[in-house]
Amino acid sequence: MELIKELLFNTDKKLAEFYLWAKNLWLSFGLHPVFLDIIIQLLVVIAVAAFLVFNALFIIYYDRKVAAKFQVRYGPNRVGYKGILQTVADTIKLLIKEDINPDKVDKVIFVLAPFLVFIPAFMVFLVIPFGKGLIPADLNIGILYVLAITGLSVIGILSAGWASNNKYSLIGGLRSAAQIVSYEIPMVLAILAILILAGSLKMGDIVNAQSSISKWFIFLQPVGFLIFLIAGNAEINRAPFDLPEAESELVSGFITEYSALKFAFFFLAEYTNLFLTSAIATTLFLGGWQGPFLPSFVWFIIKVYLVVTFLMWIRWTFPRIRVDQLMEFSWKYLIPIAFLNLIITAIVVKIV
Amino acid sequence: MADIPLQLEKGRETDEYILSMGPQHPSTHGVLRVVLKLDGEVVKDAIPDVGYIHTGIEKLLENRKYDQIIPYTDRTDYLSAVNNNLAYCLAVEKLLGIEVPERAKIIRVILAELNRIMSHLLWYSAYGMDMGALTPIIYAFREREEIIDMMEAMTGGRLTHNALRIGGFKYDLPSDFIPKLKKFISHFNDRVDEYEALLINNVIFTSRTKGIGILKKEIGINYGVTGPSLRGSDVVYDLRKIEPYSGYEKFDFQVCTGKNGDTWDRCIVRMNEMRESLKILTQSIDLLKEGEIMAKVPKIIKPAPGEVYAAVEGPRGEVGVYIVSDGSEKPYRIKLRSPSFSNLSVLKEIVVGYKIADIVAIMGSLDLVIPEIDR
Amino acid sequence: MIRYFLNIIKGIISLCEGLGVTLKHVFRKPITLQYPEQKPDLALRFRGRLVMPLDSEKNDNRCTACMMCAKVCPNASIMEIEKVVEDGKPKPKAKKYIYNLGTCIFCNLCVEVCPFAAIVMSDDFATADYNKDNLIIDLVAEKYQISGKKANWWKSKFKEEITKEQKVNG
Repeated sequence: MELIKELLFNTDKKLAEFYLWAKNLWLSFGLHPVFLDIIIQLLVVIAVAAFLVFNALFIIYYDRKVAAKFQVRYGPNRVGYKGILQTVADTIKLLIKEDINPDKVDKVIFVLAPFLVFIPAFMVFLVIPFGKGLIPADLNIGILYVLAITGLSVIGILSAGWASNNKYSLIGGLRSAAQIVSYEIPMVLAILAILILAGSLKMGDIVNAQSSISKWFIFLQPVGFLIFLIAGNAEINRAPFDLPEAESELVSGFITEYSALKFAFFFLAEYTNLFLTSAIATTLFLGGWQGPFLPSFVWFIIKVYLVVTFLMWIRWTFPRIRVDQLMEFSWKYLIPIAFLNLIITAIVVKIV
Repeated sequence: MADIPLQLEKGRETDEYILSMGPQHPSTHGVLRVVLKLDGEVVKDAIPDVGYIHTGIEKLLENRKYDQIIPYTDRTDYLSAVNNNLAYCLAVEKLLGIEVPERAKIIRVILAELNRIMSHLLWYSAYGMDMGALTPIIYAFREREEIIDMMEAMTGGRLTHNALRIGGFKYDLPSDFIPKLKKFISHFNDRVDEYEALLINNVIFTSRTKGIGILKKEIGINYGVTGPSLRGSDVVYDLRKIEPYSGYEKFDFQVCTGKNGDTWDRCIVRMNEMRESLKILTQSIDLLKEGEIMAKVPKIIKPAPGEVYAAVEGPRGEVGVYIVSDGSEKPYRIKLRSPSFSNLSVLKEIVVGYKIADIVAIMGSLDLVIPEIDR
Repeated sequence: MIRYFLNIIKGIISLCEGLGVTLKHVFRKPITLQYPEQKPDLALRFRGRLVMPLDSEKNDNRCTACMMCAKVCPNASIMEIEKVVEDGKPKPKAKKYIYNLGTCIFCNLCVEVCPFAAIVMSDDFATADYNKDNLIIDLVAEKYQISGKKANWWKSKFKEEITKEQKVNG
């Protein structure tokens, strides 16, 4: 009982003790310590990947239930108790579908594109603080790493659009590339304001700088929070910015020619990206895993799902923005406001 | 360092290409093919290609007797079946010289206005889905269920009502119709306000529809556009006011118009029309008096040789029926004038110069029903 | 400059109104009917499949093979009615009544024109089948038993029709 309480609330101390004990054991066998590090990192990677996969299964079900709540209907409620096994059924259906490879596609890029979209989404989770002491690797350049890796997904989308040998997919891929590149800038500017307040690029330090609820950055930077959410939404190609996958105009955009497993990867990547944006927003603005009574891991999940619910609320309410208005919105409205936010923050920090 | 060219050399301008917004497309609302000539994302030409769902109704009807034709007229514009039935029944009654009793006229108005609200609600949901908003369809269909329940209580069918007969009605209103109608009227106005706030007044929606697809007055009138698509361009033309039929002269309602003729105005016209229809329904409950519902019609309908044209204001425009009779019990020729056909013909004028994404917005605002075009 | 900020504020207000509408709907009860467990409440005049019910008093159907329904059907879905006059009974009866469910358009004209209220459109809408031959039904051989609200409505209709027939025949 005591052990469990210790494990839940003081995870970082317990993990450090475990590491010391394991190292001593390893050295007593006479083996080189570097192998132990490799094994432990592998275990961490497997744990994070398993968490993300189960989380993706749950978040798809959650999306459908939330959509149903907003639309005064029931969501999935036949498969399993209250429909909780619906995603499992959908995944099995996707896996046993026929894998259609159209005739004149560029074979190598066609097969590679889903991975190029999906792997950066997973790689970013290296620096997200899941709880007290539960960061897989607390890099010194945490935020910079996040921004760099999320930029890699553009290559995946462009190659998916190009390799499909389809006019519609090409248009969708190009639109998406333009969108992602334009919305990186407001996101970076909003994050810069946070960095001025926190003073370091390390994710762990940013969370520690929000030690009490009055110091949470959402209250110090409300405009920055909104800008980050809007830009994040556009980065992950989600409504109202889901032009690349606009069903009524381009028949699924750059995903048109994909079927079965590759489609499952795109799908998985979209929801993982959603979780990622919410996780970063929580870490930067809502205080990460800080919170009074519950263990830190539980607080993190609650806060992330609050932001996820808000993003879903936006998705199911608003229509889609046209592509040139999207550009106009980013360059003419978001960037000036983000700059203004940054300047005001800098001035205030200098004075106060 | 190479010279940076200030403009593209001759022969290197961007090419125009032809895109076929083909018969299978999620937002052409049916089986319609539009061949587009595009220059990048800007539209240079749009040619509609109809005929994918031609069923030959007009030829079929030459072999049916006059009272067997009514179920067929349901199926051209299936979203507002009563208006089509009404046009046909008015034409035959003109040919036979029959006068329909008062109570039947008022019940016809009630059913026609309910159908108008149903059709506009479906336009709202489909348009929302084209724009990318996925919730308006569910809300609008909830209202539509209420109306369909009322129509089902009266006629027995949910979509193909087959409601009218030549000379009036076969069965009278059921006893639970008027209480249901009163309940519907009591909350529908608030719902229309909600729908406006959710989709039409949204800044994303207005920036996608204001200033797009402007239809000038003269072009609209020359091409024969009718209905809300024409009234959005500030033309007061409503058949219910100009040539009232079936008792519309007793009702007090306004003709809704828009100012500029762009897509947003057409949307506002339709939302306001829903409110005006509600006003008509409220007045009709008081105007409904006891009486007969069927006029004296001969058992076998054999009108005198001649021709007649009768038109009705449907939700999409002027629905017309032209009958040529040669004295036998089957018509010699029936021509159905569908409003969507004339509305579609103006597509080239209002789409040229805008982008691909605007095409969907413009076509949705014309409110086309493709089976009506091809018949 | 001022218009720039006014635009932004007006835009944000319209977006918040939309969000408010969606939020209001979270607190309303769902309107779906869970189909196989809850059946819909159909109207009395609902036009399902055509049936020729047995009259409980006579224990036989009410059809006299006058062929009016076959004449009025717009696309000849009532294919064949075989008339037979039995000895000792004044009125003819129908021995066979072939109805094509596949081409019926459910227009109700046959029910309205029948002078004896012999046929009626039932509440049955789940009539899909794997085999197209099963859609051609002999309504006399089916001996359909009508029940529920529809039965009362049907009985009231034939009292009306009988009095109309008596009025016509004197």
